[in-house]
Amino acid sequence: MYRQEVNHVPKIKYFVQQSWLLIVCSFFFGLLLAIANAAWSPRIEQNRINKLNDLAGRLIPKAKDFVPLDKLGVTIEVKSLKGPKKKVDVYKAVTGDACFGWTFNAVGSGFQDKIELVVAVDKDFKTIAGFDVLASNETPGFGDKIKGDEFRNQFKGKPAAQLELIKSGEAKDNKILVISGATISSEAVIEIINHSISQVKRQMQEKGLLGNDKE
Amino acid sequence: MTKNSETTAGIYKETLLAGLWRENPVFRLLLGMCPTLAVTAAVKPALTMGLSVIFVLLCSNIVVSLMRNLLKPHLRILMFTLTISTFVTIADLFLKAFVPRMSETLGPYVPLIIVNCIIICRAEACASKNSLAVSIIDALGMGVGFTLTLCVLAGIRELLSTGMIFEAKVMPDWFVPWAAMRMPVGAFITLGLLLGLVNVLSRKKA
Amino acid sequence: MDTLNILLVGFISIVLINNLVFTKFLGICPYLGVSGRIDMAFGMGMAVTFVVTLSGTLTWLIDHMILIPAGLEVTRYVCFILVIAGAVQLVEMYVRKFFPSLYESFGIFLPLITTNCAILGLCLFINLWGIDNLLEAVVLSFGAGIGFTMAICIMAGIRENLNLADVPDCLKGAPITLITAGILTLAFMGFAGMIR
Repeated sequence: MYRQEVNHVPKIKYFVQQSWLLIVCSFFFGLLLAIANAAWSPRIEQNRINKLNDLAGRLIPKAKDFVPLDKLGVTIEVKSLKGPKKKVDVYKAVTGDACFGWTFNAVGSGFQDKIELVVAVDKDFKTIAGFDVLASNETPGFGDKIKGDEFRNQFKGKPAAQLELIKSGEAKDNKILVISGATISSEAVIEIINHSISQVKRQMQEKGLLGNDKE
Repeated sequence: MTKNSETTAGIYKETLLAGLWRENPVFRLLLGMCPTLAVTAAVKPALTMGLSVIFVLLCSNIVVSLMRNLLKPHLRILMFTLTISTFVTIADLFLKAFVPRMSETLGPYVPLIIVNCIIICRAEACASKNSLAVSIIDALGMGVGFTLTLCVLAGIRELLSTGMIFEAKVMPDWFVPWAAMRMPVGAFITLGLLLGLVNVLSRKKA
Repeated sequence: MDTLNILLVGFISIVLINNLVFTKFLGICPYLGVSGRIDMAFGMGMAVTFVVTLSGTLTWLIDHMILIPAGLEVTRYVCFILVIAGAVQLVEMYVRKFFPSLYESFGIFLPLITTNCAILGLCLFINLWGIDNLLEAVVLSFGAGIGFTMAICIMAGIRENLNLADVPDCLKGAPITLITAGILTLAFMGFAGMIR
């Protein structure tokens, strides 16, 4: 009986009969999603900017704003440790017209997972103002210490050149004391910073953003 | 006892309590294990996840229950999936907008609520066959049961791995934190032991 | 050569170091349910590998070719899960019709896999990690499936022996499996830091 009915009813009508609810619901849900998105996405974007500014602000306290280099029409690309070139977000730390430094994001692989850092340097790219960890998944209690103040404070004022890790002794000039029990995580951080600083610095010089310094 | 169960209030009470102990989604039905292990490193994320699941469960049960007479049998799983994924997206957007740090900690486990067996099972087993009121109460029962379970597990793990609960120091100074608890090892072993404990308790009751 | 290097490293990392079951807590439900016997475990593992490779590729394609250019990222989760469900359905029909012997060995698991968190989880992780070329996405998805298969077969092997051991009554079944999984996770942590 049912089979015969189906044969007589045109295909389109059968299709609609079976799935009208699905179509109506899809439409309704789509609308719901669009409303939620429109209402909240500006806030989500603002959260993202706030987070970057927060971290960067603590590294370069004198600056009030962080202007992305994109806005100034410049793109910097870094050849990542894996190979391909990736665009790097570089920000100019300013208060009004005065530049107080630069911050940029750097990524590399750590002990367990990716490590994402935000590195801050002074306006001539000569010394490191510090770094902060955006995302990492290192071993709690060991590799985790890269987020701690003890390790991070060592970087303040170090030259923006190749840094070296030492196991003991005084951490002068470009030497950094390793975190005991977390060699690989410490090495990862040094490697990320060394690698990205040298490349970003060179590109910034090439694009003439660093004034007259030719070092 | 039988007279009580027959009244509507009795049914409501039964349904509510079922989600909390007798049919606890994690401990008895063994559903929704993935978020249970993943977000219970600390109590705050666990609570956030639990509340999100309650929200999605409620909304999806309500919608499915309202639609239950219109559902075509072979399209129903598709309908459930569509409903659930919409509400999960809304919940995720909400978390990203209002508690961005927590949203980052939870990461991809919020959209994984879509495939959380608890929600789809409740939609299939309960909401598509019962009235709106019973569906809502079932959602609440299951949701609260799930949240409590998550918080208990998270409480144990956070206490032992950092000596704090809800970021407030609880353990005395001589306590050396067990870092393993924050890692996947701690999650698996704690859940296994808790399940064993629940088995012991429920066997004694019976 | 560079690309090959990246792919190889990515493959090994997702099979050993970032194993989906042991580090990302994905796919636990079938892991507990189907790891009783090695042949069933292997069948499930193969089914998961097949589906996850297909879904990983499809969702990456859809994400990069349709969703991002059109700015429809908000519908990402809905699209992903619908694509996964649809792909699994089609694959099941296809396998049942053209490869009946293959269907015998792992076809029954296919409907269960749609709600497997591992599939959607992997698609979301690929999205989260910002993988931006197709080949890498395919290799990672395949690797994830292989990692899951390996994890579930190891567990099946252990469980077959556990049946003969003297496990306390209250821990039989899911509890002891979870505890074993925990110890396995600890063992796999030894691979961390292997790739630098």
